Amino acid sequence: MSLIYLDHAATTPLREEVGAAMAPYLEGVFGNPSSQHRWGREAAEALASARARCAEQLGADPSETYFTRGGTESDNLAILGFVARLRGDGLTPTLVISAVEHHAVLDAARHVTAREAGRLVILPVAPDGSLDTAPLERALAEGPTLTSLMWVNNETGMVMPVPEVAARTSAAGATLHSDAVQAAGKVPIRMDEVAVDLLTLAGHKIYGPKGTGLLYVRGGTHLSPLLHGGGQERSLRPGTEDVAGAVGFATALELAVTERTVEAPRLQALREALEGHLIGSVPGLRIHGEKAPRAPHITSVGIPDLDGQALRAALDLEGIATSGGSACSSGGSSTSHVIAALYGEDDSHAVVRFSVGRSTTEEDIVRAATVTAATVARIRAAGGA
Amino acid sequence: MSRVLVAMSGGVDSSVAAALLVEAGHEVVGVTMKTFCYGEVPGHGKTCCGLDGIADAQRVAAALGIPHFVFDVEEEFTRDVIDDFVSEYGQGRTPNPCVRCNSNTKFRDLMARGRALGCDRIASGHYVRIEHRRGESALLRGRDERKDQAYFLWGLPPQLLPSLLFPLGDLTKPEVRSRARALRLTTADKPESQEICFVPTGDYRDLLERRLGPVHPALEPGLLVDRQGNVLGRHSGYAGFTVGQRKGLGGGFPEAMFVLEIRPESRDVVVGTREETLSNYVEVGHLNWLAQPPPDGSSVHVQLRHRARPVPATMAVTGDTLGLTLQTRTAAVTPGQSAVVFDGERVLGGGLIAAARSQAASA
Repeated sequence: MSLIYLDHAATTPLREEVGAAMAPYLEGVFGNPSSQHRWGREAAEALASARARCAEQLGADPSETYFTRGGTESDNLAILGFVARLRGDGLTPTLVISAVEHHAVLDAARHVTAREAGRLVILPVAPDGSLDTAPLERALAEGPTLTSLMWVNNETGMVMPVPEVAARTSAAGATLHSDAVQAAGKVPIRMDEVAVDLLTLAGHKIYGPKGTGLLYVRGGTHLSPLLHGGGQERSLRPGTEDVAGAVGFATALELAVTERTVEAPRLQALREALEGHLIGSVPGLRIHGEKAPRAPHITSVGIPDLDGQALRAALDLEGIATSGGSACSSGGSSTSHVIAALYGEDDSHAVVRFSVGRSTTEEDIVRAATVTAATVARIRAAGGA
Repeated sequence: MSRVLVAMSGGVDSSVAAALLVEAGHEVVGVTMKTFCYGEVPGHGKTCCGLDGIADAQRVAAALGIPHFVFDVEEEFTRDVIDDFVSEYGQGRTPNPCVRCNSNTKFRDLMARGRALGCDRIASGHYVRIEHRRGESALLRGRDERKDQAYFLWGLPPQLLPSLLFPLGDLTKPEVRSRARALRLTTADKPESQEICFVPTGDYRDLLERRLGPVHPALEPGLLVDRQGNVLGRHSGYAGFTVGQRKGLGGGFPEAMFVLEIRPESRDVVVGTREETLSNYVEVGHLNWLAQPPPDGSSVHVQLRHRARPVPATMAVTGDTLGLTLQTRTAAVTPGQSAVVFDGERVLGGGLIAAARSQAASA
């Protein structure tokens, strides 16, 4: 049985070039970048170089580029750090987020409101990807805000209107955060072109190491740190730096951004082929966000009146990796808040997310579509499960 | 060999059941049902069904080299098992949620998932045996008398029997533990889970208060009365009582007193002497048969509580109700508990006890 990994939105394997770039810092070069000797200087230079390479890929300044230990950490630092800063000034912000944000944003925002440190406004999103910005306009008019709008939705691949919202928030002098974890290497992201103030990236979604991330913080935007310690990362994220991780992250980001113009159209063709096969062979199948602008690598489908957990497990037994939307720590998952936001709470479609990547071939797509259609038919014949 | 789905709770029994199936050459798929929200339960993680249980099941599956899936059945479990548990206590009965889960949730859902996964058999780590012969499947008591779980399985949908496997039916608990140790399973020395999985502390009153609301009659004070209607004391809510219970009635009686009956309409808890708890006629509803029901007047054995010795009885079915005339008067026959009908080792069927009384021997 050939194994087909179609869950690149959950995570990706480390690229050979990334592993090679990291190797010297895992095996030989071990200095602490804060140390005032040759070992330290060597590590510090590697870190500074990695930071500069990331900044260049983002159209940012190295001083705006902070290494973190992952996407969740960057999201939390952006939201909780911004709120803490405002609270220090005696202000209570309104958090404005879309209904389809990742849990790292949604739950951080709920954490703030549960402690009455801020209000929360959620912007509805339609299946065509359009965002209802009327509540944002009201919030901008009322007082201090932090808006958080993801660049590419992780469950459906929908591209959110970040540049349009950025134009509004910057005109109002307000702050905008964007979780761009799924966007890096898939759609253009330039901090010198779009007025986003805070931007989250994660290494393991772009063939980099797990446990690495980046938070872009535009000059003039102030955050309070969540951790306190040795002053690393300009005191915003103290703790001895992961030099190998930073080098790996920078290498992965460079490759992802520079290869995007070639790889993104290839991924999109694969995704479209998959969708075409599935629509033709699975009765009633719906593509989530079909009419919305979408990133090249993700397609989420809904299949009426079927148990999604059982379908995904059956596909796994056939050697095909998919997911229900987001990878959930406890394994099981109830209806995703994203699908509920788009299609209503009592939607009974089985949800399967396929996400293609560097290793995906046309043969994979044909087999995945064929097996999915056969599995759906078998489950239906066995009584719907 | 066929593809078998095995229900893995993360406890030692289902771990060994999975291992035995692998040894026997089956293609085995492990499944853990996530049944309720663990965050709500204090002390969660201690029972076999907690999130730690899921992690243990995953580790055992990995050690056995079999795929493992977690299925979230929280909605179904809450509706079919927890809501029923709460509603039964609210009506003055003493439910057995494990029976309810086995009857309505666990095996039915496993079968549906199993079919989706291309499995033709469903297995669990229950201590019961099943014999498939001549087109008939018989559910039998487990060999280990102390662990036998036949009492909990009378409610299985009969059409599922031909698909079931119980690999531990011929083993004793010590044998299961030594198998687990020999296989170096992480669950080998896990303690037994005795409590109800969604009430890990054993105190269900909290759960009732949360789900019934604080002003339900079952949680309101009421009177302790005797059969003659004399008021003997007060109680703080009939949901705290079960027929046959001695604790919590207060002292000062000339002889030991036991709960005889709970009357939800008046909130009275009727108490009496040990002699008064005895009954020899039992009415059983919600019947389910795993074999051809014996004709009226047949002599059978009936088990009226977990771990209770089966009592010889004569049966008669009237409509949806099974009447059992017990040969010996039996203490504390409790509405809501199961009455399970046996022919020797074999489970013929069962139901839920609706009422019990003492009647003249000739009746």
